[in-house]
Amino acid sequence: MSDKGGKGSSLPPKGIKSSLKSTTSNGGSFKGKEDGSTKSKKGRKVQFDSDKVSPKSSGKTESLFSKGNTGKGGKGDNTASTVKKSPSKPPPPLELKVEQELPKNAKCIMDAEALQILQGIQDQMVILSEDPSIKIPASFDRGLQYAKTTGNRYTDYQSVRRILETLKEHGVTEGEICVIANVGPETADEVFALVPSLKGKKEKLMEPLKGVLDELAKLKQLA
Amino acid sequence: MFLNVQLPWNVIIPAENLDAKGLMLQRSIIIRLLDEFASKKATKELGYYFALTTLDSIGEGKVRQHTGDILFPVVFHGITFNLFRGEIIEGVVHKVLKHGVFLRCGPMEHIYLSSTKMPDYRYVPGENPVFLNEKLSKIGKDVVVRVIVLATMWLEVEREFRALVSLEGDFLGPVSSF
Repeated sequence: MSDKGGKGSSLPPKGIKSSLKSTTSNGGSFKGKEDGSTKSKKGRKVQFDSDKVSPKSSGKTESLFSKGNTGKGGKGDNTASTVKKSPSKPPPPLELKVEQELPKNAKCIMDAEALQILQGIQDQMVILSEDPSIKIPASFDRGLQYAKTTGNRYTDYQSVRRILETLKEHGVTEGEICVIANVGPETADEVFALVPSLKGKKEKLMEPLKGVLDELAKLKQLA
Repeated sequence: MFLNVQLPWNVIIPAENLDAKGLMLQRSIIIRLLDEFASKKATKELGYYFALTTLDSIGEGKVRQHTGDILFPVVFHGITFNLFRGEIIEGVVHKVLKHGVFLRCGPMEHIYLSSTKMPDYRYVPGENPVFLNEKLSKIGKDVVVRVIVLATMWLEVEREFRALVSLEGDFLGPVSSF
């Protein structure tokens, strides 16, 4: 795993978590690179405000999360008080930057859309399973279940999509639209609280967003 | 969140599967593709692989030199699932520990919500431990909680993700399932 924090893959290790999971051997869950773990043996927990940030490891990986792989050290001084990425810089605001993290050939879809697709496949599952050579991924069931619980909010995802597309004119990204659809907020404030990257356009978005949420509320499937 | 991805792939058909009945070729390509897709389980960039939706194109086969297999470049669409930093998700609690809880969200079992990230909640031990806050809102087993993703981590060996989430923020916390 590249500890350059590529694609958000690094994890500020929590002391608790690593003590639960990882053993001290390198096979532990927080394992990254050998050199990372051996190198910052002491100042391992770079992220935690607890003192030892080994400057070399933060220099080595310029991402703020840095040293994801060094997390293993959870021994004590890693009492996850606050998750601070590196003591010298303030933590980056927690914003959804899906577009930057997504590979080029991927597109976000709403849970409701995914539900339709996965259900379609499930319907054909009976036919498919008669053929022993056809294999379905193990996580398919889990995914379908999850999509059912979250995607069931709206009956008609195409209208949802249409309504939310109007937000695109105001500069809302695809990822943000998907989050809004998945969460199903009731007020504009909720949207701004949950999608902080929209806060910058708050004034511009307030009115259209309210309109959109009203439309969505009509589409919401009653329990 | 779910992603619809378009992927190029190279499907290798061993020589013994190729027979005179050329029509079966497409079927065996699809089957091999499904097989590899299923065994892949997940990747770092795209997350967990769920399902193949469409096969866009099958390219011209190239014969591999020493083995006699044929390599077909294909392009297909599939659904994957990945968590992103800053995303809002709803997970179900499946394990309650003194310092936090573990949530399950879709295929991901190991989503950790630390007690330090649950402001105002305190641990209540017992046969069914829960986290309780002053307003008597409970976070215990099988409760659906809306959280924000702080970070994710890819584990190459197990080919799975772990995630760290938090309740710090407005509109986050247990939701009444409907």
